[in-house]
Amino acid sequence: MNKTLCTFGVALVASVALIGMPGCGKKSVQSGGDSQSSQGPAKGGSVGGYPDTGVQSGGGGLRGLDKNPSEERVGSGTMLAKVDPSGAAGQQTDEIRAEQAASAAAGLRDVFFAYDSWIITEEGRQALSRDAEWIKSNQNALLKIEGHCDERGTSAYNLVLGEKRAKAARNYLVELGVGANRLSVVSYGKERPVCIEHAESCYQQNRRGHLVVKTRK
Amino acid sequence: MTRVKMISAWFGGVLFLAGVVNILESGAADVFLEVTRPDFQKISLGIAGIQNKGGPDWLGGRIEEVLKKDVKRSLVFDLVDLPSLGITPTDIGNGTGTGSKAVFKQVAEKGVSVLVWGKAVMKEAQKDADVNMEGFVYDSGSDEVVGGKRYAGSPSVVRLMAHRFVDELVFRYTGEPGIARTKIAYVAQQGTARELFVMDYDGYDARQLTADGFLNLMPQWSPDRRFLVFTAYRDRNTQSIDMIELATGKRWTLISLGGLNITPSLSPDGNFLAFASSHEGNSELYRLDTRTKAIQRLTINPSGDLSPSWSPNGRELVFVSDPGGGPQLFLMGSDGTNVRRLTFDGDYNAAPAWSPRGNWIAYVCRTQKEYKLCVISPDGQKRVQLTTGSGVDDSPSWSPDGRHLVFSSMVDGKSHIYMIGADGKDLERLTFQGTHNSAPAWSPAS
Repeated sequence: MNKTLCTFGVALVASVALIGMPGCGKKSVQSGGDSQSSQGPAKGGSVGGYPDTGVQSGGGGLRGLDKNPSEERVGSGTMLAKVDPSGAAGQQTDEIRAEQAASAAAGLRDVFFAYDSWIITEEGRQALSRDAEWIKSNQNALLKIEGHCDERGTSAYNLVLGEKRAKAARNYLVELGVGANRLSVVSYGKERPVCIEHAESCYQQNRRGHLVVKTRK
Repeated sequence: MTRVKMISAWFGGVLFLAGVVNILESGAADVFLEVTRPDFQKISLGIAGIQNKGGPDWLGGRIEEVLKKDVKRSLVFDLVDLPSLGITPTDIGNGTGTGSKAVFKQVAEKGVSVLVWGKAVMKEAQKDADVNMEGFVYDSGSDEVVGGKRYAGSPSVVRLMAHRFVDELVFRYTGEPGIARTKIAYVAQQGTARELFVMDYDGYDARQLTADGFLNLMPQWSPDRRFLVFTAYRDRNTQSIDMIELATGKRWTLISLGGLNITPSLSPDGNFLAFASSHEGNSELYRLDTRTKAIQRLTINPSGDLSPSWSPNGRELVFVSDPGGGPQLFLMGSDGTNVRRLTFDGDYNAAPAWSPRGNWIAYVCRTQKEYKLCVISPDGQKRVQLTTGSGVDDSPSWSPDGRHLVFSSMVDGKSHIYMIGADGKDLERLTFQGTHNSAPAWSPAS
């Protein structure tokens, strides 16, 4: 399991920055073994490698004012790597296009929510009922339900809200008889708006559960 | 005590630090922020110019401009305008000439504590141009040129020379390293993607760190400034908490538990990573022991828990939980014990950040349907709203000296990054490019 995850991770990450994952190949989840506390490994999860990030030395490289100062060479200050924007970003863009095309061809409908709410409305039920029919008649399709939010509120809290919306949509589809194993959920919070005006007409388009046909696992 | 002697006493930095401790223990009923304490006296400082001794016309002026802005932002010094005091900056040289003595006398008489001047030259080196900068410091308390600095480097580091010099000044007068060389990590829109960037604390020299073409969110620094932890998405389907090494761009997944994997925050000693995950149902808080890799669950309740932020001593966490609907701030021990509610004003309080001095927690408060910045003392007794107006403010992050906050605001329509004093003064916009800049995180001091 760990090995699979690591290999998967390396394949993904390598395309980003051509590196390995520290901790791969090593045992990456420590067994807790303490039955009475909640300490222990997470179910089905993984924990990657972790470097020492403790502060090594204080002083910040300051040498103090000096009556006879010696010359200090000031480096570029770049503790920053150069990124190569090619490759990974282009691949993601292609995959997103493929997903969008597949979802549009399927005629899947979004489900919309009220402000600060994750309750499926009557309108939402109708949309999901039609989605459920398509999903049931396309037995090989795997779907992702994205939870989205409008721009109001904090980024972090909107990620929680987005997940509640995605889960609410998934739960209703399961109620309608769609196999839960065909549905995954993910929250994008307010980070991928379809509309960027600061108006309710726009906000309501962004408060949505968006169904996507997965084009890869 | 004469004014001069009083200022001299400040120079040791000891009294300054003692003052901070007093604030922490103060039971004063008045609401105040440390930089606006009635007895907080900034150290008056004048800059008598950076003489251009050869090279492009902009050289001395640019260094002087950066020095002035850094000095103002330090909030330790009060930048005085010398000409308005009748002091005409002249070439003081290295401060030993008779002309310079006359200037020093004037400076002392006008009550200016510190005088700074310098010179800069750019020469064509064999491959690249080379810049030399010298800065000098006269201290009217001790009536002497207490010292200086000599820097050399390429033209691309001219701003860094000035930043470094001001950090030396702050260090000299407070015993703290200053913030002029700190950095701010943030998220910027690139097409439909959101990528991590790092810029200097004054908004200059932005560099892109990730380029995976999807979402990279809410970065936080490691205590040693070498890494960022943040939320990312594997194949857009699975959320994870990733780590990236700034110097190399190496990046890997730390935590991928299924469900939400958000709001990572490293303890001040780097030994624990607190984060929120929903892999066991709703969003709960966990902490990863970075040495043993053991994960401990910290919260067990039916509410959504997220956004942990560490107290500077690492013993407590402030976080967001939403029992009864709206998000509110809660405190608990860093092992999950002793949970208690901190905020009671309003129905939306989120995104807390504990000040590195310990005495304030900044957060996003909703008042009159607007999301603004507030600060509250950890005992809940003092609360101040820092920003007003329209547009969502989000993601407050403290400067390592605890005197400033950086945050994102949509006050101008698009989300951009701003700096503000901990007293709500000195608002300064830092980003101007692009359509969306958010989630700023201020680096620790070097």
